[in-house]
Amino acid sequence: MSKIISVSISELKVAIAPAVLVTYGLGSCVGIALYDPEARTGGLAHTLLPAPVRDTQGVEKSAKFTCWAVDLMVDELVKCGCAPERLVAKLAGGATMFESQYRSTHGGIGERNVAAAKAALERCGIPLVAEDTGGDYGRSLEFNTATGIIMVRALQQPIKQI
Amino acid sequence: MKFDALTEEHLDALREVSNIGVAHAATALSQLIGRSISLSVPKVLLTDIAKVPEVFGGAEKLVVGIYLQMLGDARGNILIVLPRDSALKLLSRLLPREKSEGSLLTELEISALKEVGNILASAYLNALGTLMGKTLIPSVPVLSFDMAGAVIDYALIALGEVGDLALMVETDFFGEEEKINGQFFLLPDPESLKIILTAIGVHL
Repeated sequence: MSKIISVSISELKVAIAPAVLVTYGLGSCVGIALYDPEARTGGLAHTLLPAPVRDTQGVEKSAKFTCWAVDLMVDELVKCGCAPERLVAKLAGGATMFESQYRSTHGGIGERNVAAAKAALERCGIPLVAEDTGGDYGRSLEFNTATGIIMVRALQQPIKQI
Repeated sequence: MKFDALTEEHLDALREVSNIGVAHAATALSQLIGRSISLSVPKVLLTDIAKVPEVFGGAEKLVVGIYLQMLGDARGNILIVLPRDSALKLLSRLLPREKSEGSLLTELEISALKEVGNILASAYLNALGTLMGKTLIPSVPVLSFDMAGAVIDYALIALGEVGDLALMVETDFFGEEEKINGQFFLLPDPESLKIILTAIGVHL
């Protein structure tokens, strides 16, 4: 039996195989998974916001913010023996749960989360190998650190593997 | 105003004004569906954002979420969460029986549930606004039928921008003849919390 490790909103966790990292009910939040296939070690973050709204000074660097989650996770993975150059990334989530009339206030937060994640990955030089983002539905993720495969479950949608 | 600066006295005052608000909302809903609906005495919860999905019964529970913004002199979010079976029971009171196609909601059902949200939120905000001597109005409601975690993360965005805590006023409502459960949440913006507390005469 693999160990199941749950990741809540604003959290990031890393695990070495055999272990499954899970996060439930991603809406406009984004799930960022990093994986080192050789070390069979992965990390999963469940981020809420693309970046701090006002000045970034005094704001704690946490996995609440998409812009910082990748850097924080890379640090953790390196501590577990991963090589940064071997890391690959997968993204899921970033949906638009409610109709477009609220875009004016929180302007497509799901899309902005996905964009922030891609920018952070590019900055860190980590290739994005798969994604299941957007849409108008929530997702749950099960990231198997033995294989690097993520099962994406959603209501009214077939189960996807990325 | 930071949520962690709130004292028991502040939370008591919020509970008291919310009690009056939910009493009005219960009356409005009872009249709408022609059945007696009771609402529990509100709980005021100060929770870590990461723990909010647990309050809603777990991130994967299927729920109908009706979301409105509180506009006017104070701002925040209102989220009404109905478990799927309760939403369907409410609908059977509101609409002529339709052949349900699959587990998705029809346009008419969505519209009816949004109206329920509108009536609950309007009654609540009207009572709260009157107590405060301020104007509070709800925005047009939007609806999502999905996993609880996905439905509510939207409401956490504004809170996440300023801190890690969510202040929630939670009320359970239930029917007397048949089981209709739901939760009514008010998530005031931190800046608006000060306005609300000051207006109801709490010393800060």
